[in-house]
Amino acid sequence: MPIILAELDRLIVKPTVDFCELTSLPIDIGGAARRAVPPECGATVTLDGYVRQFTNGRETLYLEYEAYEPMAFKEMQKLIDHAKREFEVSTIGIVHRLGRLEIGETSVVISVAAPHRKAAFAACEWLITELKRTVPIWKKEVYADGEQWIEGDHA
Amino acid sequence: MPIQVLFFGATADAAGRRQLNLGTETVTLTTLVASVIREHPKLAQHKLQFAINQEHAAGDETIRDGDEVAIFTPVSGG
Repeated sequence: MPIILAELDRLIVKPTVDFCELTSLPIDIGGAARRAVPPECGATVTLDGYVRQFTNGRETLYLEYEAYEPMAFKEMQKLIDHAKREFEVSTIGIVHRLGRLEIGETSVVISVAAPHRKAAFAACEWLITELKRTVPIWKKEVYADGEQWIEGDHA
Repeated sequence: MPIQVLFFGATADAAGRRQLNLGTETVTLTTLVASVIREHPKLAQHKLQFAINQEHAAGDETIRDGDEVAIFTPVSGG
């Protein structure tokens, strides 16, 4: 009976694994969040970072993201490994979008599952701060009258 | 194997290219970057960071035959 099998498949608790991805397609935020739901956990904190229309009073039309892809994967994996040592968390997923993004589109999703929420919030905050400092991805803001590659704050 | 130099974002625009192959002579990163900037002076208008073989680098490392060097501005993902 296929329906019963499908139902069973949905009910069986599956192990979850960490993931990091770069994609030029729109990110399924809920899908990413629900991938980080291990049975021993009670909370997944998910950051949905998206394209802001106004930065310092100047209107952005759209953004373009570019990555040094092989190094970006290595750096994201290092962040995951580090966060799992430093915080009481179980599963971490990071997805970053590349290419052209319109206003309001999601550029980054970070999902952190933990037995208890406080560690998940703390790890998620640490992960996005470090991602913005170490992962080789750059954004270009395109305005009505020009464009500019944004250079990060961190030397 | 040459030393491969990669540019991204602002440095690709400033250098007018995304990649450059250099000779196979062993050099320090500082020397290599100075010579790349001489060829592509607009790079000097930016704060630059570096990676060697896909690891962040400080500046005094030795570059050898076949190494991959990336020159980029401080990252701005997220």
